[in-house]
Amino acid sequence: MHEPTWIHSALERHERALIAFAARIVGDLETAREVVQETFLKLCAARREEVEPKLVEWLFTTCRNAALDQRRRLGARGQRMEAHEMEEHPDPSSALSALETKDESARVLKLLARLPQKQREVLQLRFGGGLSYKQIASVTGDTVGNVGWLMHAGLKTLRERLSGGALQGRS
Amino acid sequence: MVAKHSSNSIPFDSAPFDPDDARLSAYAMREFGSDELTSEEMAAVEALLARDPKALEFVQGLRETMRQLDRAFAAAEADGLSEAQRAAILAQASASAPTSSAPAKSRNAWSRRMRIALAAAIVVATVGGTLLVSQPWRDGAGLFFEVATSEGHAGQVPSLASKSSPEGRTVGLRALGYSDGQHSGSARDSLRELGYVFNLVQVDRPESGTEQYDSISEHAFRRTLDEARSTFSIDVDTASYANVRRHLRDGKLPSAGAVRIEELVNYFDYAYPQPTGSAPFSVTTDVLACPWDANRQLVRIGLKGREVHANERKDSHLVFLIDVSGSMSSEDKLPLVQRALRMLTEQLDVRDRVSIVVYAGNEGLVLEPTSGRERGAILEAIERLQSGGSTNGGAGIQLAYKVARQNFIEGGVNRVILCSDGDFNVGVTSRDELVKLVETERKSGVFLSVLGFGTGNLKDSQMEQLADKGNGAYAYIDSLAEARKVLVEQMSGTLETLAKDVKIQIEFNPAKVQAWRQIGYENRALEHQDFADDTKDAGEIGAGHTVTALYEIVPVGAPFEGLQVDGLRYQTPREPMPSDMAPSAFGDEWMFVKLRYKAPDGDVSRLFEHPVSGAPQAWTDAPLDARFAASVAAFGMKLRGSEHVSALSFAQIRQMATEALGRDERGWRVEFLDLVRRADELSH
Repeated sequence: MHEPTWIHSALERHERALIAFAARIVGDLETAREVVQETFLKLCAARREEVEPKLVEWLFTTCRNAALDQRRRLGARGQRMEAHEMEEHPDPSSALSALETKDESARVLKLLARLPQKQREVLQLRFGGGLSYKQIASVTGDTVGNVGWLMHAGLKTLRERLSGGALQGRS
Repeated sequence: MVAKHSSNSIPFDSAPFDPDDARLSAYAMREFGSDELTSEEMAAVEALLARDPKALEFVQGLRETMRQLDRAFAAAEADGLSEAQRAAILAQASASAPTSSAPAKSRNAWSRRMRIALAAAIVVATVGGTLLVSQPWRDGAGLFFEVATSEGHAGQVPSLASKSSPEGRTVGLRALGYSDGQHSGSARDSLRELGYVFNLVQVDRPESGTEQYDSISEHAFRRTLDEARSTFSIDVDTASYANVRRHLRDGKLPSAGAVRIEELVNYFDYAYPQPTGSAPFSVTTDVLACPWDANRQLVRIGLKGREVHANERKDSHLVFLIDVSGSMSSEDKLPLVQRALRMLTEQLDVRDRVSIVVYAGNEGLVLEPTSGRERGAILEAIERLQSGGSTNGGAGIQLAYKVARQNFIEGGVNRVILCSDGDFNVGVTSRDELVKLVETERKSGVFLSVLGFGTGNLKDSQMEQLADKGNGAYAYIDSLAEARKVLVEQMSGTLETLAKDVKIQIEFNPAKVQAWRQIGYENRALEHQDFADDTKDAGEIGAGHTVTALYEIVPVGAPFEGLQVDGLRYQTPREPMPSDMAPSAFGDEWMFVKLRYKAPDGDVSRLFEHPVSGAPQAWTDAPLDARFAASVAAFGMKLRGSEHVSALSFAQIRQMATEALGRDERGWRVEFLDLVRRADELSH
């Protein structure tokens, strides 16, 4: 196999999850697409044998860094987004929700947006991106144990809120 | 509360349930392809779940939240990059980069299909909103037309079954678009005007889209003196369970026809012993108290196929036959097929060869037989699959079989694996024809397995029948977790057949059994004379598979009303007489189990016999596995509205199953509890 095919299949496999991930950082879909394009352009320049064994980690880490850069650059706008998320209409996902049909999904995403940023991020990487705890740890720079804890705390809070706080344990 | 199987070496084992323990999430997450726990941690969590129902409930809750997240992310996944952005990347990657077309974006399969149909066909007549859109064509089963009804019923595509006309000529109507009575009527009129005779089979608007299920009528009690034998084919399908699960999760009770009790029971593994002798499977029997009627007993017959370890697996050639028609475009169809195949590909090695055939309007070989070692090439072919166009299942199947035959591996596994929503909607698609084709090919040594995907359009009965006739299993894949179960965890069972045409015949002893009734296996019943007839097809058992059959029996002396039938004119009514009874040497036997099977490439069956005797076990003394199987059967009967379990509520069934949970490494049994709870809520 030669190189272009490799890039092509990485693109096919990960572009959507990356765009969704970036969109939650930068707040809009168009900027997210630019960030992801930038990520793949960097991939083209990278050395295949170095990147490929850890392709998923590499893509999400690069994309995350680019997205965080972008948000810093867009400063005010990013903050506005954050402020929004604390309120009733959080939703960077509303920009993503063209295909979204189910009320349940909308509600889940809304509640997700209200979680602390770190918990939200690990859940997105796990369920949106399909990354393992270890891969997530290498993307966010946390320890694996910490990723497990963030994941559990986020899931537990989500569960309580989804079932109206009726679950066992303190809410 | 004390743990049933406490293993006291692990300190965590005695620790109380802590809702902040992150291992609980990691445990629940295994359904989503995550493997974060050591085996010790896993054992500790399982021990906790076995002894603390609160913890169990908590983990179930987490798992449910994960499913919601999974769905939410899948639903919200954005479109990919723009064409310009992609082009820039690919240009950067290499000047010679092949630009492939973007993934199909059409979400509106119906309008595509409609347009194609309309463009390609000749409008013969227009009556009352119904269009005949093709000239009639003839195939082996008779004459066919395509009919489209008005736009208002977009997306609904039933096939109307055909019936023989008085002249012995069969004329069928296939409707593109949902046909309500009025439209079908006008279609019939227009056909009559054209001089064709045909009988319309009325299709009521089904509740869930156009999913099709055969109706099932439950086995009734038979008096042993009237009928001492029960003959049936084994069945290792599990599709019905996954389908029932999907309905319940969507907040609907499944229709009775979708509930095949044997498939519910066989979804779970039971701890039957490994075979020891030359037979490829072991047989285990139990007699235990019947939990829903104190005057009856349950008999369980369990088969277990020999485990084949990954390194003993035979060489295989797998031909994936993938439906890429427009109807497959939704997230739970082709994209899930792709994810499932990627997972399977990870399991392959140098012994395996994979080919991929796709079909839509046309069929094509998109991956030549490729060694499992060349994972990259296989993955690429999987990535490139995209949906669009109409479906011609018939031609696709023919091509897949051809590829399989041309690359046949002697003594190995040769299998076509059909991935579809079962919507064979163009061309040679009469159910009988397809079945005939599959039966013929089976004799060449190429077997067929069927993986059903998607909702709203599932042709459940057709898929099951094809797999049945093709010597393969039918599994319904509703999630990545299910794909993992079927294609990874049970891969050798799914692929490697140990014995074929496995038939069971049971003779009940009238000295012990007054009346009996088989639970489930309604569409697997055989004629008694077919048992010893080696030309008659029956079910297969794969490596590591377990198959369980259950009977409800009324012991002699227990009150039994039975069915009241008018007396006979020419025969004296018979009461049990000493002369009817077997010699006292057999007095302790409830029944005699006979089993016939053939080697996967054999033509002559072997016989296996096994008497069942011994005192029935009290419910609380019976093996947990038997109690769990009985709970699953009761659940199936309850879903079907069977009067036999009218004394049981869903809550009681859930209780029974909870107490019998036993070992549940992968969380399937805990998930079952969740389904019973949902059914309970939905039935109020």
